[in-house]
Amino acid sequence: MDLKYCNVKDSLPLFSSLPHNRFNYRATRHLVASSFHDFLNWFDDRAWYPLGRIVGGTVYPGLMVTSGAIHTILHALHIPVHIRDICVFLAPFFSGLTAIAGFALTRELWDTSAGLMAACFLAIVPGYISRSVAGSYDNEGIAIFALLFTYYLWIKAVKRGSVAWAAGTALSYFYMVSAWGGYVFIINLIPLHVCVLLLMGRYSQRIYVAFCTFFILGTLLSMQIPFVGFQPVRTSEHMAAAGTFVLLQAYAFLKYVQDYLTKQEFRSLFFFGVTGAAGAVFLGVVFLTYAGYVAPWSGRFYSLYDTGYAKIHIPIIASVSEHQPTTWASFFFDLHMLSCSFPAGLWFVIKDINDERVFIILYAMSAAYFAGVMVRLMLTLTPVVCILASICLSKTLNEYLVDDTPKKEKEQGEGEEIEEETEKKGRKLYDKAGKVRKIKPEPEKDSEGTGNNLRGFVVIAIMMMLMMFAVHCTWVTSNAYSSPSIVLASYSDDGTRVILDDFREAYYWLRQNTDEYARVMSWWDYGYQIAGMANRTTLVDNNTWNNSHIALVGKAMSSTEPKAYEIMKMLDVNYVLVIFGGVIGFSGDDINKFLWMVRIAEGEHPQDIRESDYFTTNGEFRVDKAGAPTLLNCLMYKMCYYRFGEVQNSIGYDRTRGVEIGNKDISFEHLEEAYTTQNWLVRIYKVLDVSNKEKVTNPTKKSKKKKFSSKKYGQVGPTLASSDPFPITIC
Amino acid sequence: MQGNCNRERASRNSKMKSSVKASVAILILYVLIALYSIGHAAKSDGNKKENQLGERVKQLSDWGSKRAVIKMNGDKYRQFVRMAPRNYSVIIMFTAMQPQRQCSVCQNVNDEFQIVANSWIYSPSYSNKLFFASVDYDEAPDVFNAMKVTAAPSIMHFPPKGKPKKNDVYDMQRLGIQAEVMVKWVTERTDIQIRIFRPPNYSGTITLGVLMLMVAGFLYFRRNNLEFLYNKTMWGVAALSIVFAMTSGQMWNHIRGPPYAHRNPQNGQVSYIHGSSQGQFVAETHIILLLNCAVTVGFIMMNKNPISEGDVRKRRVLTVIGLGLVVFFFSLILSIFRAKYRGYPYSFLIR
Repeated sequence: MDLKYCNVKDSLPLFSSLPHNRFNYRATRHLVASSFHDFLNWFDDRAWYPLGRIVGGTVYPGLMVTSGAIHTILHALHIPVHIRDICVFLAPFFSGLTAIAGFALTRELWDTSAGLMAACFLAIVPGYISRSVAGSYDNEGIAIFALLFTYYLWIKAVKRGSVAWAAGTALSYFYMVSAWGGYVFIINLIPLHVCVLLLMGRYSQRIYVAFCTFFILGTLLSMQIPFVGFQPVRTSEHMAAAGTFVLLQAYAFLKYVQDYLTKQEFRSLFFFGVTGAAGAVFLGVVFLTYAGYVAPWSGRFYSLYDTGYAKIHIPIIASVSEHQPTTWASFFFDLHMLSCSFPAGLWFVIKDINDERVFIILYAMSAAYFAGVMVRLMLTLTPVVCILASICLSKTLNEYLVDDTPKKEKEQGEGEEIEEETEKKGRKLYDKAGKVRKIKPEPEKDSEGTGNNLRGFVVIAIMMMLMMFAVHCTWVTSNAYSSPSIVLASYSDDGTRVILDDFREAYYWLRQNTDEYARVMSWWDYGYQIAGMANRTTLVDNNTWNNSHIALVGKAMSSTEPKAYEIMKMLDVNYVLVIFGGVIGFSGDDINKFLWMVRIAEGEHPQDIRESDYFTTNGEFRVDKAGAPTLLNCLMYKMCYYRFGEVQNSIGYDRTRGVEIGNKDISFEHLEEAYTTQNWLVRIYKVLDVSNKEKVTNPTKKSKKKKFSSKKYGQVGPTLASSDPFPITIC
Repeated sequence: MQGNCNRERASRNSKMKSSVKASVAILILYVLIALYSIGHAAKSDGNKKENQLGERVKQLSDWGSKRAVIKMNGDKYRQFVRMAPRNYSVIIMFTAMQPQRQCSVCQNVNDEFQIVANSWIYSPSYSNKLFFASVDYDEAPDVFNAMKVTAAPSIMHFPPKGKPKKNDVYDMQRLGIQAEVMVKWVTERTDIQIRIFRPPNYSGTITLGVLMLMVAGFLYFRRNNLEFLYNKTMWGVAALSIVFAMTSGQMWNHIRGPPYAHRNPQNGQVSYIHGSSQGQFVAETHIILLLNCAVTVGFIMMNKNPISEGDVRKRRVLTVIGLGLVVFFFSLILSIFRAKYRGYPYSFLIR
């Protein structure tokens, strides 16, 4: 049944048959074209010009290897499928697997009917569908499957206490590590589960076997991923697991000693033993951190704990919209009725607790916190919300749907299947006692009719809400998530859809009309797209590992033309690409992002760029006549609004900002407009060579300038080298 | 002073708009001050001048070593900040700390300013190039008048040479009052790097410690009767409150600090719900928290629970109430969401 729901998902967004994440697709193509070892050693000289990027060591290879493996298997079976199709359909395929893993996990935690419901929710819930539509080719798509499957195997291991299940958990964890940086969530949540079980006095041999097997195998396996390397033994993020491991040994030893001691002796020994071990572990980690053997929490993780940290210290993290905190509206948008019914599920689970349910409680609470801090982590909350909401709803339905009278035909549409399944399973497998009890007292006291009516009302109400949920999911999917970011769709007044294909137009132009080795400068958001679709060298891209390089591009964008020209010459730029939405009213354009460029540039070059210069005296950011002169003359402004004053009856009215622009008299000295797309969405400029004429008219100035720029270049080298040596992907 | 501050700020803004007048006035003032200081300086010969400078720097660093922020009155201000030969920068905070002013912002700004000044004093690169000072309105109103400072608190940089320029006034409204941002501004103006050292905030640690002690003591006294630790209702309520706080966006409030509600200045109407799905008010999140809570309670009531155990009538009443809660409050949430999210087509019972 859940597969059917997945099919709904598949058929919706077949809008463009291209994977959205261009880098992953490019890397996969490289993997398929060469061998696995070539892929690990791949040095990409087309990105981060002139630095380049060692892809094999700075990427989680799980996604590429998965699609590469599928490709190999299919070809071995003589099914000739293009790698592009595999990439496009990988996400829906894995979301189907996620639904199955969710079913299995919920069945272990509660019962089969709740499991089926959880699978249904997982298949359509908007919070997850953003990563599972066809064409979304992201790490997260497969990582959520790996996450849930690891948790399922862990629950199995805790229940059975068998080495086999625990080893399975470690293998699944290995897959997760290879796929996504979010694996840190698993390696902290499972030890937390063990710790809480110890605190609750629920220690058993099963837990000992499960955790020790998982920890040892999992740590060893995770160190096989080149990007992770020695982090599991060298960073604070992983120390909780190691500490729990030591604590568990101490606890197990004391339990063993218990047999040989009197009760009184054991009590004191136990108390001092456990507190001593816990204290020793804690002090040990603190000491190792201070002594430098263990790296302290990295900024990206620290910002989850101290929420103000990133805003001050890491503007590049704060600038990404997915790293903003979550409003209640986006909780509701992504979870709809689940967001208000899952706390009830949590309540039922707490009321009826056992070893494995402790786990889901901890998962729910920690994921709720993380999702509150960062919109992006909604993705980890969504599965647990589906599981708990399904427990709540299936428990309620079980109570009110068990009836001897003929089946209710009141419910229609989406809810029908859920309810039918629920009922079938519920009747077959369990809840006999509840059924008996309910039927028994009712005939005694009241007439059966009112009881049935009431039951009917409850069932109808819940079915209505489930239907609301289903239509909500469909609406969200078709409106918010299905159109690929590369093609914009807008609706005119009469409801016809207008497709704005400017991005592809521009990238195609670049691909056809520029030199194969041309360097294109743009803000980092478009790096992967330019590399993937236009096949040109970029300076910065979405893998934001080198802040100083990005700051340099930001500085070029926010300087005046002559200064920017120096930087561009220094970086060997041939073309500059900007996104401008003022003609069609597209709000995600470079002018709206511009302040972040300034801020990031200011972080590295505080002498040259000051954010305050880009505001008016009243502290406003304006592009009209009242705007700050620095802003009106910076490169980004000029590139966006070049000749803009001549269109639309010479008004120059910016539809995104809703103002008439302030500087209409723009001319370039070192740049030349190369191409502007149909709706002006993408504008490309060619960086001219140093002109002859100028040299002749003003030789002294020119030579001075040249000298200065070469000096500058000498300065830049060390800055780049001294920056963070560990390339980090945004996790 | 809170209200006062606002009024002053408003008047400053309006003044900025009629900037021509103001700038002429300031220009005249500058000329006067310049003439005054030139005249003042001309009185003494070169040698004496240097001596004086040395003495003044010595005096300042003397004071500076006693307290990080030097308190200034009118005379000191003229002598150390306005007098011409200087080789040091002074950062002055204009404030109104008297209790009767009731300026709570001043207190906050003062705290951050002290942090900056202290970090400078204890920094390894400490020198006589930079001093921090404060002027209180009630002690030296003449300074305020002389500098045309109409709002307190405000912070100004007096460079070693010349007069404060436009950028030498710290833009508090835009930059905020955090010490980190202030330091950035100071570095911008003076080229002196200061690393902020915040005295660790022990209040949080102490509260936590006291709380832990209380819990430990409580557990110790109740050591013979620890049944309550196994009380699932208590744990359940604790877990649910965390979840409710998160799903209603309290973390967003904590990070972004939105107003409690919005009062329309034209007609005085108070709106509790933010008009767009990108933002929210504190009041709004509280409403949503309660609504979520009500729906959850409804679901719990509909299921078997100890209250209705065995009693069919009670159970039936609870079911009706629970159903009512779930349906009504869920549709209320939906309608609020619909009002916030433009173009959302669906509603349930309530439009």
